[in-house]
Amino acid sequence: MNDKPHLDVEALAELQDVMEHEFDLLIQTYLADSTTRLDALKTALEEKDADQFAKTAHSLKGSCINMGAPRLGGFCFEAEQLGKSGDLGGAGEVLARIDAEFEEVARRLRHFGADA
Amino acid sequence: MPPLKVLIAEDSDSDRLILARLIQKLGHQVLEAVDGAEAVELFGLHQPDLVLLDALMPRMDGMEAARQIKWLAADRLVPVVFLTSLSETADLAQCLEAGGDDFLIKPYNSAILEAKIRAFNRMRVLHLELAEQHAQIQRQNERLLEEQRLALRVFENVAHTGCLDAANIRHYASPLSVFNGDVLFASQRPGGGLLVFLGDFTGHGLPAAIGAMPVAEIFYGMAARGFDGPDILREINRKLQRILPVGMFCCGAMIESDFKHGLLRVWNGGLPDGWLVRADGERVAIPSRHLPLGVQDPQRFSASMVVLNTSPGDWLVLMTDGFSESRNQLGECLGEEVVREVLADLGAGQSPFEPLMERISEHTGEPLPADDLTLCCLQIVDDNTEEAQAGRLSESALSGATDWRCVYELREQTLAEFSPLPMLLHICMEVPGLRRKSGEIYTLLSELYNNALEHGVLALSSEWKVSAGGFSRYYQERERRLADTDGHFIRFELSHRPRLGGGCLTIRCEDSGEGFVFAEASDTVSASQPVSGTTYSGRGLEILRRMSSHLQVHGAGNCVEIVYEWMLPGETGHGGNGPMMMENSR
Amino acid sequence: MPIYTRRSDDGQALTIQVEGRFDFSTHQAFRDAYEHNDPSVSEYIVDLSDTTYLDSSALGMLLLLRDHAGGDNARISIRNCNVDVRRILSISNFEQLFSIH
Repeated sequence: MNDKPHLDVEALAELQDVMEHEFDLLIQTYLADSTTRLDALKTALEEKDADQFAKTAHSLKGSCINMGAPRLGGFCFEAEQLGKSGDLGGAGEVLARIDAEFEEVARRLRHFGADA
Repeated sequence: MPPLKVLIAEDSDSDRLILARLIQKLGHQVLEAVDGAEAVELFGLHQPDLVLLDALMPRMDGMEAARQIKWLAADRLVPVVFLTSLSETADLAQCLEAGGDDFLIKPYNSAILEAKIRAFNRMRVLHLELAEQHAQIQRQNERLLEEQRLALRVFENVAHTGCLDAANIRHYASPLSVFNGDVLFASQRPGGGLLVFLGDFTGHGLPAAIGAMPVAEIFYGMAARGFDGPDILREINRKLQRILPVGMFCCGAMIESDFKHGLLRVWNGGLPDGWLVRADGERVAIPSRHLPLGVQDPQRFSASMVVLNTSPGDWLVLMTDGFSESRNQLGECLGEEVVREVLADLGAGQSPFEPLMERISEHTGEPLPADDLTLCCLQIVDDNTEEAQAGRLSESALSGATDWRCVYELREQTLAEFSPLPMLLHICMEVPGLRRKSGEIYTLLSELYNNALEHGVLALSSEWKVSAGGFSRYYQERERRLADTDGHFIRFELSHRPRLGGGCLTIRCEDSGEGFVFAEASDTVSASQPVSGTTYSGRGLEILRRMSSHLQVHGAGNCVEIVYEWMLPGETGHGGNGPMMMENSR
Repeated sequence: MPIYTRRSDDGQALTIQVEGRFDFSTHQAFRDAYEHNDPSVSEYIVDLSDTTYLDSSALGMLLLLRDHAGGDNARISIRNCNVDVRRILSISNFEQLFSIH
């Protein structure tokens, strides 16, 4: 668990600054990319591929941090550590949290994007 | 800062999008790759200035991409920055090992990215400047080497090898030794025998090499025209003293070897001891007794040479101080004592050259000595073998100045100041094939000239030369009388006619003196001889008599004419030692 | 290769002492030792008691000093040479140009 916020509003504002009219595109890209990676995480878990699980979690963590979703990034870090340890025992629980947090982040991002 | 080409490789689409926009906003051009393999491909195509790589990517990860990119970049400095979220230090270390130069930590921050790009650009520019300076130095160095090669060619044209290749000379001189200030010249003398000069200029490089050129020109020019060692030394000293700055000079040794009479004349100014190693094992040191060349003004310069007797099989050894100063890996000098040791261990008549060279290699551990060592060993040979070598130098088809006549008259004060012999010899040597007789021609010319000057013009009596006291009186008197040559002359008339396989040289020498007394008259001697007058030097006439095929005295005895008939070897007909046409007494 | 100079009490003699190797690296320091002295110096003493080595460029420097001190009229003495240094001076016959003790 971590007590980081769902969204880092300040970081997102900066991103908005950088991306200008492409900010929406960035959000769509992030969401699409992350959906793909979530699926990949599930597949890796089903196949008990700890290495792939760690790598995918690592990538997802990176983009979450960049997109101002620190809490989701934190969950991904947990998943990455599990994958690296080779023991996917607790992975199902972490993945469920990631899934739920992603829904929350996606909702908030769409809302943030619409505001912009 | 000029816009840079930045390559980014990142498999996360959103991260790549953010990074690309950040970099574009900083004014740079972006190339995007989705994995390591594409990054390597784009790098090869576009030669970017900076590469940002995500560490974990499908197909090829960032570390492998970094390795390949660094390999492709070769000498070009292309900073590679890894993109990462804070992770374990072991991973970071791995990235650095793969050739990464820095990290950029997610989330990306515009200010930090800008600072890093600036820093890397400074590094890149500095590297480019260094590379450019390096290339410039290399170009300059190449130009310098090319100039040296050219200079060497010019130098070799002036300071050709002379007769250093003769069978009785063994020498070591690096081709570039002139740039270390070492010179070694050898020349056959027109009068027979050999001249060798070894010199070592102070300093290195161009300043040391510059002095070598005039020395070469003086040495070969004067040696070919029959001047002897002291004359050449005086001229070299005069020239160097004039052109070299104070503090620069040339240590040197001049060797004049007369194989015919078994004599060696030596002069050493500033070089380490030279050595005469006799065939019977005796070793005679030839130490430096003079200031180096170019130090002393011409009036005080001493060109006096030490005379040594030699026999065939003796060896003469000369070297520069590069020999004793050769260093081994520990930096220790070989020392002069070693030369004595090597020479002492020689077998009878053995060449000292190889043992000395071996001793150097043993000491330095290198197959060849350094550029600043020059070593020359001269073997004293039998006159006949040496003569054979001399002939090899000049033979050419019998075309050129073969049929001619010339008159050369010296008058008054010029008699005291100038010797016409080198020039007259030079004229005779223009006859193809006659060069191999240059020794005899020189002797004929100088006997005629000296007799005309000393006994004719100066009216000196050769009888004085019988006693030791008279000898010095003779030369004092010679000096004194040379001061007053008003109204006097010596006239040479030379003519040459070609013959099949050789030719006939007639030399007539007339002087303004009173004439000679010939006690035992013969048919060809003119009947009208004055009773008073100076006695002709018997010895000189004897030489003329032996070497010419015809000798005639005209007028009051102050005009002598000789005919010298010569044949090339292998031709029939009689040579220079023809029958005598005239007898006379001393 | 430090070089030390000192003036005699009457100021007329300048002693130049060369320590260690007397070679091309000493060039500038050796020149500086005598070039900027006032004209009252009429005699030079080159003290080589602490000189371990001397090469041909040092010989050149001595000739430059001689030139500076008046050429043939120069009063220069070279003192306290060790055997090796003395040998190099005598191979070059510098006794003819300097008084060597």
